[in-house]
Amino acid sequence: MAGLGDLLGRAVLWPFVLLARLIDLPLRVWQRWTGIGGMAAVFLAPTLLIFGVFVLVPLGLNFAYAMTGGTGILLGERPFVGFEQYGRLLECEDYTRRLTCREDQFWTAVGNTGVFVIFQVTLMVAVSLITALILNRNIRGRGFFRAVFFFPVLLSPVVVGLIWRWILQRQGLLNLIMVNLGLDPQVWLNDRFYAFAATIGVSTWAHMGFYTLILLAGLQAIPRDLYEAAEMDATPPTRVFRRITLPLLAPNLAVVLVLALIRGVQIFDEVYVLTGGGPGTSTLFLTQYIYEAGFASILRNPGLAAAASILMGAVLVVLTLLQLWLSRRAEGGRVR
Amino acid sequence: MGQITLRGIRKSFSGVDVIHGIDLTIADGELAVFVGPSGCGKSTLLRMIAGLDRPTTGTIEIDGQDVTRTSAAERGLAMVFQSYALYPHMTVRQNLSFGLENTRMPKNDITARVDDAGRMLEIMDLMDRRPTQLSGGQRQRVAIGRAIVRNPTAFLLDEPLSNLDAELRGSMRAELAGLHDRLKTTMIYVTHDQIEAMTLADKIVVLRKGVIEQVDTPLGLYNRPQNLFVAGFIGAPNMNFFNAVAVDGQAELPGGLRVAVPGNGPVTIGIRPQMLHLADPDAPALTGTIRLIEALGAETVVHAAAADGTAMVVVLSGQPALRTGETIRLAFDPDALHVFGADGQRLD
Ligand SMILES: Nc1ncnc2c1ncn2[C@@H]1O[C@H](COP(=O)(O)OP(=O)(O)O)[C@@H](O)[C@H]1O
Ligand SMILES: [Mg+2]
Repeated sequence: MAGLGDLLGRAVLWPFVLLARLIDLPLRVWQRWTGIGGMAAVFLAPTLLIFGVFVLVPLGLNFAYAMTGGTGILLGERPFVGFEQYGRLLECEDYTRRLTCREDQFWTAVGNTGVFVIFQVTLMVAVSLITALILNRNIRGRGFFRAVFFFPVLLSPVVVGLIWRWILQRQGLLNLIMVNLGLDPQVWLNDRFYAFAATIGVSTWAHMGFYTLILLAGLQAIPRDLYEAAEMDATPPTRVFRRITLPLLAPNLAVVLVLALIRGVQIFDEVYVLTGGGPGTSTLFLTQYIYEAGFASILRNPGLAAAASILMGAVLVVLTLLQLWLSRRAEGGRVR
Repeated sequence: MGQITLRGIRKSFSGVDVIHGIDLTIADGELAVFVGPSGCGKSTLLRMIAGLDRPTTGTIEIDGQDVTRTSAAERGLAMVFQSYALYPHMTVRQNLSFGLENTRMPKNDITARVDDAGRMLEIMDLMDRRPTQLSGGQRQRVAIGRAIVRNPTAFLLDEPLSNLDAELRGSMRAELAGLHDRLKTTMIYVTHDQIEAMTLADKIVVLRKGVIEQVDTPLGLYNRPQNLFVAGFIGAPNMNFFNAVAVDGQAELPGGLRVAVPGNGPVTIGIRPQMLHLADPDAPALTGTIRLIEALGAETVVHAAAADGTAMVVVLSGQPALRTGETIRLAFDPDALHVFGADGQRLD
């Protein structure tokens, strides 16, 4: 009766069966002790443990570090300094001149991040909306293009940064093509303007597939016959877009806008690999500033980094609340 | 004006033929109903007339002008969709004026037109609501209003009442008929419900599998169905059919009753349930065994099996004393018979 397949199955299952037997007894004992209600705690414990160790405890530590000074790594070695780190970040002699600030790099990073977010989010919403509109039409190879635009989302940010570095560096692919076309090669990543533009372009390229997908889902949820009704009414295409597509896509657009804002503020990995914040500090963004202040600079100052990250966290909390509010409102007032 | 002519219309979707050559003229001011079972191509035909789909071959004319290649926008027709297709984010007033705003019509005129339609359909008090805040019947009125304000050459309605409950359907049907009487605009009305077709239509187009089976007035279809399909489709309950063989102008119904029929060879003899009545005791009769009696008061519907087992339905007036299991003896006027040949076409 016991065929080869059966044996093989047993062999594969054996470790799991053993594991189940091992945890069976403690679980029984626990249940006898606490009753059936106590079992919920057992099953929640692993998740709560992970959440606690990797989220709650670091969050608490962060607040603690932000109140301490010195260069020590262990909290015990660090003297309490109150709100001095926040003061240091926010202190300037003349608030109209960045260089008079004590932590002028922090303000550089804040300014860069602000400019980046304004341009990158605008570009992101525009590009993903246009892409979604095109992909929503009955074009040839629609499935193929949908995949093409989504692939970069699956890439690790480091890979994204590296790919574009190989393309944009002095002896990179882009310059090779330009030379072959008889054009002058450019030092893309060593030019303040081009490097900043590259961070915007590359991060947009890397994430637009995700936002395109959200917008595409929204477009496909708009009933077809609304467009046919508009067609019967001789509605010009621009008016169809303004009066039908945009209003019905508004909830999805709001979600895209806020998500892009949040991720824009957090921008780090692909830019760090691509430009390293340079040339100079022209592509230094907040997360990189925090990383360098805390871990990478010679005078590393974990307290300062912690304080900066809490300030950034406050901005993100506001944006997240905005997103929650928008999506709730969208759910409540939606007519579909 | 609003005369619509279809010539040799065919339509296939990715190689599958759905409409197989339709020739049809709908006169100006006529209320034509396309009726047929689900999937027979009614919507497809209507969408081609609207301009939302292009026929694979054939031409469409409106008032003598070939509009086959003309866009939906330029045909001057208005459509009422089965789903109503109201703009969900706009108020009723905005829904009604949206189409007019595409023309160069002055604002005051638009307001006047929308108000006219609103009064006609009694939806003035709903003007500031959104479609989600309306009942099914109210949405239906708004959808019709949106078509009316455009003052179209013809109205196209695709199963407009199918989402309403039975009672509302009856009253909206009467309103639509009234509306057509007042506007005198051509209407093409699609439905799978033969009662809707019979009550509304000036002319009924019976479709099956992308082919026109018959075009006639409601009573014309009822009295002289040209084939078995139409005979079975129009009229409720359905017509009774008996298979027989005609020899020398005579055929035998189950149970031995002989009737005069045209033609020779195998035939199908049809008789409507309402055309049968109880036979005199010693007169020759069509006999059957009663299986089920539905006493509705004013009339009694009897389901019976003929001698050869063929199921038949009889609608008798009043409340005759009958019992399940008994034999029923039926008589009829020979003129009430419909006889169809082996190919399903009417003989005579
Ligand atoms: N866009 C389409 N693509 C493929 N087949 C279709 C399409 N529209 C309709 N059909 C087919 O054409 C036939 C007729 O459809 P339709 O006109 O909607 O029927 P009805 O309105 O009479 O119920 C059906 O078999 C349907 O599956
Ligand atoms: Mg249909």
